[in-house]
Amino acid sequence: MSIAASFEAGSLGRIAVVRIRPNEDLVTAVEAACREHRLAHAIVRSAVGSLVDAVLEAGDRTLEVAGPGIEILTLAGEVRSDKVGVPEADLRGTIADGKAQVYGGRFRRGANPICITLELVLQEWLPAVGASRET
Amino acid sequence: MRTLTQPGAPLQPRRLLEWAAPATDLRLCLAGGQDLLCGLVAALAERGLRHAAVQVIAAEIARMAYLTGAEDPSGARVATYGPPTWLDGPVTLIGANGILGPGPDGDSLLHCHAVVVDAAGRLHGGHLPPGDVLLASGGAVALATPLREAAFAAAYDSETNYPLFQPQRLTA
Repeated sequence: MSIAASFEAGSLGRIAVVRIRPNEDLVTAVEAACREHRLAHAIVRSAVGSLVDAVLEAGDRTLEVAGPGIEILTLAGEVRSDKVGVPEADLRGTIADGKAQVYGGRFRRGANPICITLELVLQEWLPAVGASRET
Repeated sequence: MRTLTQPGAPLQPRRLLEWAAPATDLRLCLAGGQDLLCGLVAALAERGLRHAAVQVIAAEIARMAYLTGAEDPSGARVATYGPPTWLDGPVTLIGANGILGPGPDGDSLLHCHAVVVDAAGRLHGGHLPPGDVLLASGGAVALATPLREAAFAAAYDSETNYPLFQPQRLTA
């Protein structure tokens, strides 16, 4: 039986200490910060912050959660750059609204404005030299 | 996408990034009977760590409070915290992210948000106030990533009218 999987050898490198200011979209701001500082690939190590409102994707469902002051409880995900160096962030996590209801999913691009701040730590992912993605 | 008018003028740049050096992570186990955040801050301080990114991997909690966001009726800020919600244990932490750095008064501050499950199986989550998360006998496990050369430190932010963690270069 063949197993469908692909691997990329690599290591963790520099650590980016990031803050996103209010009203910036979570996903596009993370991508812009990576583009501005030439951070091609990265993983989320920790993040604490809040959103004005939130839109999460979960399967075929879209969860729209009204704020303000939605707390980002956990954030996980990665940034990957395409062949021409354009970074794309895939960010997933859990949030709580003002009624202490908890929701989870993938943060939709362009729909999650930062409320007060996002404190974010990314760590660079460095593919091994000459490594190509094995299948 | 709705945006809010902050009390102060927008500050530039909108995205701040400082580079910290690669670091060796520290896994630490906290014994029960102590406060989660105070215990983490004290344990990391003993190792000389005042700046870190923290993931709490596991925690068993006997009693805890958390805060969620609300509109600020005073209008001084666009959002504030509502009153605490208290949970009696056993409470199971299933994820938490934190940032450790010097707070507004210079003392170490661990800004931490967590998601937990209460004794009835309900999900909860929010901002953890220091001193209000008592660990049960199972204690806690966390992974700390030391931040060297650059890290977060609290400073007054005129745009939001809050003291906030800001990326800063660290002097040796």
